[in-house]
Amino acid sequence: MKNGPLLFLGLFAALSISWGAIVLGTHAQIGALTPYYDDTEGASFPKRGSGLAAQGEREYIALGCVACHTQQVRRPGFGVDDLRGWGDRQSVARDYIFQFRPQLGSLRLGPDLANFGDRKPNPPDADELYKLLYAGTPAHPSYRFLFDRRRVVGERSLVALNLTNELAPGRGYEVVPSSKAESLVAYLLSLKNGYTYPEAQPAAAPAPEKKAGASSEKAAPAATKAPATEPSPETEKSNPRGKRPEQAVPAAAPDENKKQTK
Amino acid sequence: MTYIPTTARTGPRAGVAAADVTPMDVAARGPLLLLLGSGIVWLVLSGVLGLITSIQLHSPHFLANCSFLTYGRAEAMRETAFVYGWAANAGLALAIWILGRLGGNPLRGLNWLFGGAAAWNTAVFVGVIGIAIGDLTSFSLFQMPRYAQPFMVVAYGAIAIAGILAWMGRRTDGTYAAQWYALAALFLFPWLSTIGQYVLLWAPSRGVVQNVAADWYAQGVWTLWLAPLGLAAAYYVIPKITGKVLANYDAAPLGFWALIFVGAWTGGRHLIGGPVPAWIVTVAVVASVVLLVHYLIVFLNLRSAWGVPSTALGFIRFGVVAYLLGGAIDAVTAFRSVALETQFTLFDVALQQLALYGGLSMMFFGAIYFMVPRLTGTGWASSGLAVAHRFLVTIGVIVLVVTLAVAGWSEGADLLNAQTPFADIVDHAKLPLLIHSGAQFVLLLGNLLLLANFLQTIRTSVVADVIALNPIGTSEVSAT
Amino acid sequence: MSTPSNQDPRLDPAAVTDDALLSQHDKLLGKQPDDGAHYRLMPLAMLFIFAGFIFFGATYLGRFAGHFDPRIYNENVREFGATKAAPVALDPVAIGEKLFNNAACNTCHQATGQGVPGAIPPLAGSEWAQGPEERVIRIVLYGLQGPIKVAGKDFNSAMPAFGKVAGGGFNWSDDKVAHVLTYVRQAWGNKAGPIDVAKVTAIHEKEGDHKPWAPSELEKIK
Repeated sequence: MKNGPLLFLGLFAALSISWGAIVLGTHAQIGALTPYYDDTEGASFPKRGSGLAAQGEREYIALGCVACHTQQVRRPGFGVDDLRGWGDRQSVARDYIFQFRPQLGSLRLGPDLANFGDRKPNPPDADELYKLLYAGTPAHPSYRFLFDRRRVVGERSLVALNLTNELAPGRGYEVVPSSKAESLVAYLLSLKNGYTYPEAQPAAAPAPEKKAGASSEKAAPAATKAPATEPSPETEKSNPRGKRPEQAVPAAAPDENKKQTK
Repeated sequence: MTYIPTTARTGPRAGVAAADVTPMDVAARGPLLLLLGSGIVWLVLSGVLGLITSIQLHSPHFLANCSFLTYGRAEAMRETAFVYGWAANAGLALAIWILGRLGGNPLRGLNWLFGGAAAWNTAVFVGVIGIAIGDLTSFSLFQMPRYAQPFMVVAYGAIAIAGILAWMGRRTDGTYAAQWYALAALFLFPWLSTIGQYVLLWAPSRGVVQNVAADWYAQGVWTLWLAPLGLAAAYYVIPKITGKVLANYDAAPLGFWALIFVGAWTGGRHLIGGPVPAWIVTVAVVASVVLLVHYLIVFLNLRSAWGVPSTALGFIRFGVVAYLLGGAIDAVTAFRSVALETQFTLFDVALQQLALYGGLSMMFFGAIYFMVPRLTGTGWASSGLAVAHRFLVTIGVIVLVVTLAVAGWSEGADLLNAQTPFADIVDHAKLPLLIHSGAQFVLLLGNLLLLANFLQTIRTSVVADVIALNPIGTSEVSAT
Repeated sequence: MSTPSNQDPRLDPAAVTDDALLSQHDKLLGKQPDDGAHYRLMPLAMLFIFAGFIFFGATYLGRFAGHFDPRIYNENVREFGATKAAPVALDPVAIGEKLFNNAACNTCHQATGQGVPGAIPPLAGSEWAQGPEERVIRIVLYGLQGPIKVAGKDFNSAMPAFGKVAGGGFNWSDDKVAHVLTYVRQAWGNKAGPIDVAKVTAIHEKEGDHKPWAPSELEKIK
């Protein structure tokens, strides 16, 4: 190749074409997604979170939580995200339109957090989260720098953590969450994927050959609710993981979700 | 400083004349050695951070309460120091040197090179500190804060001037594969970075378009910037040492263009099952398979590296094998049925380390062992350190990749079993992760030895210069 | 070349000069002047391999890219909406309740269905609400205006049109009208049958665009 300008043009073309197709193309398709208005609910989804939650999102980014946690639920049948109680339906692009910087993540050293506020079977509460951030667990680091240990002046603060045994801050001291911890917890509790958009509807269920076993109490009621949906030749292919015990894709799921978001 | 080539048979300069030192090397040695030295220092720094993060993987409470070293930030710092500190500096030094050598004329724009090198390293340093205080962006391979990124593009441009001038002022019309790859890397990174900064940091798109763009950027960093730098080094050093023409070289242009045109499309496979339209992933899968053409051609070209005993070639052979293996495994894991097992696990990290450490860094090591004597005019100061470095790094990289892959595979199996709680997942992977920390330690040690060797070599070369300039006073000056 | 052994890691001697490297490889690309400076044909095998990959890619894209539809997130789906789950029997009462309470009906008639004495007629125990279908459907679709006697009390307010009619601000579809009526007719102790969507549609088609009904007109309809 002796032609410098040709080489330059080739490089530029390669970059531009790939950028145009992947970035620009995606932007053209989903770069202007608007919230979905539901007549029955009389509301648009996704709903915006509170300002405290938005601050918490920045805190989540600043701590690098994305290094261990994902925020994307895969569809039932592709992995077991639904059986782990992380979400009944796949995350879609519309779930993220109000987020400052979607923290999709690429590593699951910890659980998926896309639906953390609605986690099954037990949604988290603020106290449990503060405790987790302060003390950590054997599998989760602690973040003591998000808290202030200070002397009790007058009465104990209302937001002081309830710590016992070796975690207790000592006589006359209390541990209170800093504003960073508060915003982070508000953000985590606001993570909910409740509404099922049209594009998030699952494809029709294959003939329910294997209902999910007792592995998930979520699966059982859904399986019993779903009447035998007509299996069509297309649907056989919609489940690539036929070997694993999977949920008969709940045809009732959209309805259930609608009910839950009442 | 003038350098007087000698045909000395003894002393530090013995044999080097036969190693074809050109006047080009002499003049350019300051800025190139600055780049190289900075790179090796960053390598050591990222090794320290890598050791810390590897310990945090199996013992999450290690240094957890220090906000600068919490795992998310430490990992971002490690990655930034490795890619933008070590790989960028070493790769640029090699690319400029190779372009200058094959251009056949002395390098021009050396002041720009000096300034650019200083500016680049300052920007990366500011970036790493920025990550430590919490301004990281959270995008993989793009973690530096917004305020540091524009300076990188400017600094890179300054550095690239020397390379572009070397191409434009070359003596022969025809060019060689190493030059194409080096030039591609010089052009593509600033474009990539500018677009990435705009779409992700300065005028962010809505929602997951950011993540698609971030994946495109990260993939571009590897296939359009780092891989060409490594291949430039390999394509140059292999025939130089073996003396044999590369086999199937007439396919080399196709291999080059295949990488450039197809490579940037493969990023989407990290979004399998994710909240993006399915076509993005499908396109990435197809591109990963078509990219095998490039790997096939690289294999056909570079297979002449085998059969010649040499330190530099030893590194490069390892690097080429790791690079090809990485490409093949990438194509296999791109398919959704396989990705189901490996996605979101340390297996993906293992593949990344295979490419960056096993492939790229080893190719760089080999080229560095080849280049430094020609820049300094003396051989490496210590053969013991060199051998130890080679041994430690080879063992370290193999163990690193294997343990991460094993941990990742076990993780993947556990993740797919809804019954397994997360505490157990970490437990099952504990043994490979402990060994992984050991591998990081070994790598750090090996790279410290490289740094020591490098500094020693510079010192020797300065002393040798002094001797060369004062031949009469030789007896009074101690030559180390 | 008298060089140190290749095994000495301190120095790897070069076996060729840069010029030789360049010219030897350039020859292979057919760029030397004496070679006519034309490209050599790629080896046939490479051509086949490349073509094979392209063929694979094209078929894979055709099958799994969902025609590049941004609404398709599942690569196995060929067409958006074609394989949706069979329509599920939604609960009209629940939907109706939601509609009633979404600040449409409950603002006036109250969530308890008691209305506002003297101003808004109650729905709970109302003979109109539990009365003939033809009447209640028209009330909700087109609105009501004029004096009306409900449960022994007189009222004279205006009720807006809820259906998709000219001058209506709510633009409810026929099934919403049906669902909210179904809810009202069984809530707060009311005991009347549900309303069919088909019936609403039929009446809507029959009446077209109608101004709000007067109770006296409605009393003529059974």
